[in-house]
Amino acid sequence: MNFIGIQELKYIQRMLFFMSESKQISVSKTGVSKLAIIALAIVFAAGLFVVGFDQGHIFSIVYGEQAFTDLYIHELTHDMRHAAGFPCH
Amino acid sequence: MKTILFIVIVLLSGAFAGLIHGIVNFAIVEPYLDQAIGIENQNLFDSGEEEDTPQFWAEYDGYRTWQKSGQILAGVILGTSVGALFGIVFALSKNSLPGANNVKKSLILAGIMWFTMYLIPFLKYPANPPTVGDGETVVLRAILYLSFIAISGLSAVIFYKLSKRFDKNKKIISIIGYAIFISAVFIIIPENPDEISAPMNLVNEFRLMSVLGVSSFWISVGVILGLLWNRIEPN
Repeated sequence: MNFIGIQELKYIQRMLFFMSESKQISVSKTGVSKLAIIALAIVFAAGLFVVGFDQGHIFSIVYGEQAFTDLYIHELTHDMRHAAGFPCH
Repeated sequence: MKTILFIVIVLLSGAFAGLIHGIVNFAIVEPYLDQAIGIENQNLFDSGEEEDTPQFWAEYDGYRTWQKSGQILAGVILGTSVGALFGIVFALSKNSLPGANNVKKSLILAGIMWFTMYLIPFLKYPANPPTVGDGETVVLRAILYLSFIAISGLSAVIFYKLSKRFDKNKKIISIIGYAIFISAVFIIIPENPDEISAPMNLVNEFRLMSVLGVSSFWISVGVILGLLWNRIEPN
């Protein structure tokens, strides 16, 4: 029975590394990584909701209905909400 | 493109620009917010909804401190958020943007996004200080404001895509097309339903400070992302 030796394993490792490098080069030629766009789009949506529109929704996941009365995030972002032109009150 | 490096410089530039926005607001917008909330408090006393007591002021001081301390933090969060969108658009459009280097390209894009996604929606739905907004209409106002931003931003992208089909000397047709389209939307989309009962000089000065604050963000994010891109070159 033939087992894979250390040298063969190193060769496979080098090939995999080379393939991943090649993939990175091909992505850079075609443009922006989709993963980066998705990650940044999530940051955009989440941040905009927190600062511009939350009325207790996020904390209600933990604190329930009380969060809509406490309005912690609303109060924390209140001044920026007005200053940046978001509707408030 | 090095994905992690790209995400890091985009988020950093947004967060720094947001920090600047928060600091600028803290310096120039806060006095107007205090003034407007002072009027709001007086209205509460006059209507009998609240009494001018030490307990009222103790509670007021507590939440005003919380609100003021949030100005800079909210600036960083908003900056990171809008900066993320800016980074996506910059990375996708960098090769088509005019400008000899990344700072110029980034500043030009920041100018375009400031104009289409902030200034035009602002002209229809200008920022208002406390005392102006009616709590009953906040959802409607949020829908109208977001819709107008989305319509203006997306239509700018569509007209830009259309311009690629035209010859160089006919690209102005796209700009005119966008101007006509957004003017039509501007007229058709409903007005802010709230009446302004606060003094107009306070409202107008607040709006001017608001524009200066938001503009400081767009200039900062353009410069910082361009500089970081030049230095690190994620692609």
